[in-house]
Amino acid sequence: MLEIRDLGKTFGAAKRALDGVSFTVRQGEMFGFVGANGAGKTTTMRIVMGLLEADEGEVRWKGGPLDLAGRRRFGYMPEERGLYQKMKVADQIAYFGRLHGLSPAAARGAADELIERLGLAERAGDMVEALSLGNQQRVQLAVALVHDPDVLILDEPFSGLDPLAVDALAEVLRERARGGVPVIFSSHQLDLVERLCDSVGIISGGRMVASGPVGELRASAGRRLRVVVADAEPGWADGLPGELTVESRGRQVLVATDATDEGQRILHAAVRAGRVEHFGVEDPTLAEIFKEAVA
Amino acid sequence: MNGVLLVAGREIRTRVRTKGFIIGLAVTVVLIAGITLLPKLLGGADSYTVGLVSSHRLRVPAAQEGGAPSIEWKEYADEAAARRAVLDEDVDAVLVGDTRVLSKGTFDERLGLLLQSAHREAQISAAGVRIMPLSMEPIGADARYRETRANVAFVLVLILFMLMVQTPTMVAMGVAEEKGSRIVEILLTSVRPWQLLGGKVIGLGAIGLISLVVVLAAGLTTAFASGLAADFPPGLAGIVAGVVVWFVLGYAFFAVLAAMLGSLVSRQEEVGPVLTPVTTTMFVVYGLATYATREPTGLVSTIASFVPPFSAMVMPVRAAAADIPVWQVVISTVVMAAAVAGMVRFAGYIYQRAVLRTGARVRLREVIGSR
Ligand SMILES: Nc1ncnc2c1ncn2[C@@H]1O[C@H](COP(=O)(O)OP(=O)(O)OP(=O)(O)O)[C@@H](O)[C@H]1O
Ligand SMILES: [Mg+2]
Repeated sequence: MLEIRDLGKTFGAAKRALDGVSFTVRQGEMFGFVGANGAGKTTTMRIVMGLLEADEGEVRWKGGPLDLAGRRRFGYMPEERGLYQKMKVADQIAYFGRLHGLSPAAARGAADELIERLGLAERAGDMVEALSLGNQQRVQLAVALVHDPDVLILDEPFSGLDPLAVDALAEVLRERARGGVPVIFSSHQLDLVERLCDSVGIISGGRMVASGPVGELRASAGRRLRVVVADAEPGWADGLPGELTVESRGRQVLVATDATDEGQRILHAAVRAGRVEHFGVEDPTLAEIFKEAVA
Repeated sequence: MNGVLLVAGREIRTRVRTKGFIIGLAVTVVLIAGITLLPKLLGGADSYTVGLVSSHRLRVPAAQEGGAPSIEWKEYADEAAARRAVLDEDVDAVLVGDTRVLSKGTFDERLGLLLQSAHREAQISAAGVRIMPLSMEPIGADARYRETRANVAFVLVLILFMLMVQTPTMVAMGVAEEKGSRIVEILLTSVRPWQLLGGKVIGLGAIGLISLVVVLAAGLTTAFASGLAADFPPGLAGIVAGVVVWFVLGYAFFAVLAAMLGSLVSRQEEVGPVLTPVTTTMFVVYGLATYATREPTGLVSTIASFVPPFSAMVMPVRAAAADIPVWQVVISTVVMAAAVAGMVRFAGYIYQRAVLRTGARVRLREVIGSR
């Protein structure tokens, strides 16, 4: 179990980047870490990895304080990717395996396996600099995974990947989590987080504003009414509760919270306005929870 | 320790495999061989060919170590043939009728003196007078090898300087590369900062040492192959071994300093400017060491040979150019080793703090006070 307890960090004289950040990730749990730009995700992860010292609070792993020996068994993907540009893909992955304590043969074996797994087989002998950005990112991921880590800390691992690579990475992460590894990753792709994660933490301005299992968060946030109307006149929803967005091809979506009493009135208005494609009371999406939480 | 070795191993493997390293080494070897041969090429010839036209051979003293050159004689039927031989440079000069010497364009001073004195002696002994040659007896310190020693010292200065500028620069570039590309963030989750720093300095130092040994071997091989080694002073092996030790000390000092400065910047282009104080110091060291090749026992050289980091180059140069009391060498080595130890501590401290601070160039003062 990885426990992040009351982390506080102030940059310079006044820039309070983190303020009492706490959350816990259990074995085999996939934890999505979300927050607006500058909210403090990277700072939190760097503190966990020992790259930054917290002013207050601590990180605990398996019940004790986390030290270098423990961290060597972590896999980390920094936000700003870093690889030796003039080193071959396979050599590079194996080198990091060695640094994490693998024997030469084991490092080589693990590198080859990951290369295969991440679809880099044809590039194994190429210099990193010759790879496209997305492929470099796959190498970066392989570097984080090569020593079969006990914990994965990944800072925006999905950014810049094509849809196939996203699926491949998601599968790799799920597999690790199934093996009992706590996985923390940050992302701005909330639908992905929602699909993949067991629990999420939402950080805003250096404070955790919500955290817990995705299902619980959604249930506790209050259900909402969602109506989709096609070919409706603009202004049909004037005077109705909720928020209206116009999607492509004239589809209009009205989302109203705490509006169960007014459901019938809204439905009548929608039917009068156009063709109703969808009408239902639902749990909020993670994106909706996020917007409300950081507002 | 394992971390240090892994990091060092990577440095060595990635450098040694590059074309640049191999070519650079080859060029240096050729350069050093050339410099080694230079005194030989510039010095006078050690044998002459002299033509004879109805003349007798002159008796010249037998060639001896560092002494008079030998003369090879060649008979010609008439003066015309002999003149042609002179103009074609088949012979250095020709003696005609025991009275005239012809030579092309100008006269080789040494050959002139040699022929004149041999001729004088021949005439005097023909007159029945016997002269006793002066007996030459050097007293005081043996100065026979002064010139050679100064030359050896000069070559050593050049080698040490090239390596001491080049290798620490490579260290600083490597540090800045790792910092700028953020590889350091991954590295430092598995090794400690001192392991990363130590591995880099040791790895690149090994490369420098390989270059040094190859270069020394090239120089010595050339010297022995060309016969130049005959002029070498005794104790050269000790001097060369000393150079290796001093390289290690001097390199360690400058490399760690360079690594520290490299950790302050995040881009390769900033490495040059941030290293300026180090490179400037190295040029001063180089200047002093060059001066010491000529004045190995002068006051300035003596003082400089005790003050780190100047001692790293001035002391081996003094030891090569003159006989230095052993206690001086020992004290200087101990002082330099202490300076290296101090520099390792200080630079390690700064490096550890600066290497994770990305963005603008970090000022030393910011790092020292902060947590
Ligand atoms: N080295 C630093 N010096 C000063 N301020 C910093 C430093 N690093 C981060 N900050 C500040 O701390 C805050 C949190 O930054 P952080 O990088 O953790 O955000 P983030 O959640 O990762 O954002 P993003 O989604 O953009 O990656 C920001 O306001 C940032 O400006
Ligand atoms: Mg970030």
